[in-house]
Amino acid sequence: MKAFLHTIHRITIYMNVIAGVALTFIILLTVCDVVLRALGSPISGVYEIVAMAGGIVIGFVTPFTSWVRGHIFMDFVIERLSRGAKSAFDIATRCVGIALFLMISWNVFKIGKNLHSVDEVTPTLELPLYPIAYGVAFCFFVLSVVLFCDILKITGGSFGGGHE
Amino acid sequence: MNEVISGCIGLAAVLVLFLTGIELAFSMLLVGFLGFAYLTSFEAAMHLVAKDLFEVFASYGYTVFPIFILMGQIAFNSGIAKRLYDSAYTFIGHIPGGLAMATVGGATAFKALCGSAAATAATFASVAIPEMDRYHYSKKISTGIVATVGTLGCMIPPSVFLIIFGIITEQSIGKLFLAGIIPGLFIAVTFLATIYVWGRKNPALAPAGERSTWRARFLSLPEVVVVLAIFVLMIVGLMRGFFTPTEAGSVGTAAVALLVLLRRQLKFRGYVKAVSDSMRTACMMLMLIGGSAVLGHFIAITNIPQIMADWVVALPLNRNIIMVIICLIYILGGSFIDDLAFMILATPIFFPAVLKLGFDPIWFCIMIGVTQMIGVVIPPVAINVFIVTNITKVPMSVIYSGVYPFLAGIILFGALLFLFPQLALFLPHYFMP
Repeated sequence: MKAFLHTIHRITIYMNVIAGVALTFIILLTVCDVVLRALGSPISGVYEIVAMAGGIVIGFVTPFTSWVRGHIFMDFVIERLSRGAKSAFDIATRCVGIALFLMISWNVFKIGKNLHSVDEVTPTLELPLYPIAYGVAFCFFVLSVVLFCDILKITGGSFGGGHE
Repeated sequence: MNEVISGCIGLAAVLVLFLTGIELAFSMLLVGFLGFAYLTSFEAAMHLVAKDLFEVFASYGYTVFPIFILMGQIAFNSGIAKRLYDSAYTFIGHIPGGLAMATVGGATAFKALCGSAAATAATFASVAIPEMDRYHYSKKISTGIVATVGTLGCMIPPSVFLIIFGIITEQSIGKLFLAGIIPGLFIAVTFLATIYVWGRKNPALAPAGERSTWRARFLSLPEVVVVLAIFVLMIVGLMRGFFTPTEAGSVGTAAVALLVLLRRQLKFRGYVKAVSDSMRTACMMLMLIGGSAVLGHFIAITNIPQIMADWVVALPLNRNIIMVIICLIYILGGSFIDDLAFMILATPIFFPAVLKLGFDPIWFCIMIGVTQMIGVVIPPVAINVFIVTNITKVPMSVIYSGVYPFLAGIILFGALLFLFPQLALFLPHYFMP
């Protein structure tokens, strides 16, 4: 179990690194565009590249944010329950999350498949949109695996923390 | 079951689910999905959730969040806050209450780079409280002002709150940024006045520090000038339509990063930490916005916003009283959930009613900003107080007793804003008519 948790944690960290690189790229590209635009020769298609890179930034950081319980939640009610009842609540909410994000992942994948089949591209640079949809679908899949890891952590007694 | 009843049950279900410890964004997604599936079809709901999330994640407009948050994180990790505080200290540290006033001055300047109330409070809890401890300031004043001064993060641009409000209500972010400047500065002045009066009444609570030389004062100024220059560049660029908010954020972030890298005030590891923290915060916000988009689609087909707007307009009450009630709902709701999260949840429901009542949307945003400022420092969910107590280990009861006198200034400004909407609307009307 420890090895599995460790592997998933490493994957979320690698995804975090990719997101960080994408964010730095967005900033550099946008600044270059602003400077070149002031000089009369803007970079074409920056908005669409930034939108696509934005999908990578937020999508790829989603599993790590859930790993560290970085989303807003409130546990002052269930903190008053016994340890067993609290664990039962936590497992139930993680199961709901897994089902929800597996469904979302599958449907974003279907959006990607549809974009692929109709060859949907961005208006200026004609970049294909489907890889971003597939990427975001993958991120939601990893997110549901992270929620599964939460269940393992709950049973192992190491679950908690985060942004309340 | 008709649409309205299912919508009301859905909204109640979000709150009940939230109490079970599930993430608020997840509960909004779940309820929005189930509600939409109930009123339309399962297939349509599955497609809606996926499409809404994909559009939020891969949208040019939303990239503004990680970028502006990153600017604040770089400023936070590179010690800019400390230097701004030191600069303010050289000018007013020698008068009674001067260190607390320097905290207000430093935080107001720091706010020009950092959009988060929590980050501002965390920064000055580490920077200013040890200094005030050295001069035997009362813990009530030192922790109270640090927790409260962070609230300026809701108002002074580039505020994350203003960006989110602008996106969900489709208002110009440039106008909202301009609208936040006078209120933010006004409230900062009420903080200074509170410290001055408090220090005058009991000088032992806030003793004077050492007087600095004029040379030290002038030497400390470049930091303030650079920060203000970056701030002005972003705001003027937005105002003149030369920048989109994403471009303004990118230029500001690049300028701050370049500045601290050239001065060797930020190492690579610090940059990585800043990027990681900012992405995590942005992800938390965008998941909330994604959840709110799905829930919003469900609530829209229940017609609740429209019915609510018609009902509110038909109430036999003065429209100002209705606005006071709406503000109280925001304060109350924000006290039990999280202020930002409640704003995201409630605004799509109340906004049409506010427009129907004839209030200016920009003014309404600033008014709700004032409720946010109150919400982050009052119990039970007072995020700024939690942060200060975590860093300083001072009991929350002491911090709360220090916060209340400053709260009076925020409430006073809220009342003035009611009477004189131009306090918020003057700059956007003048510069972006």
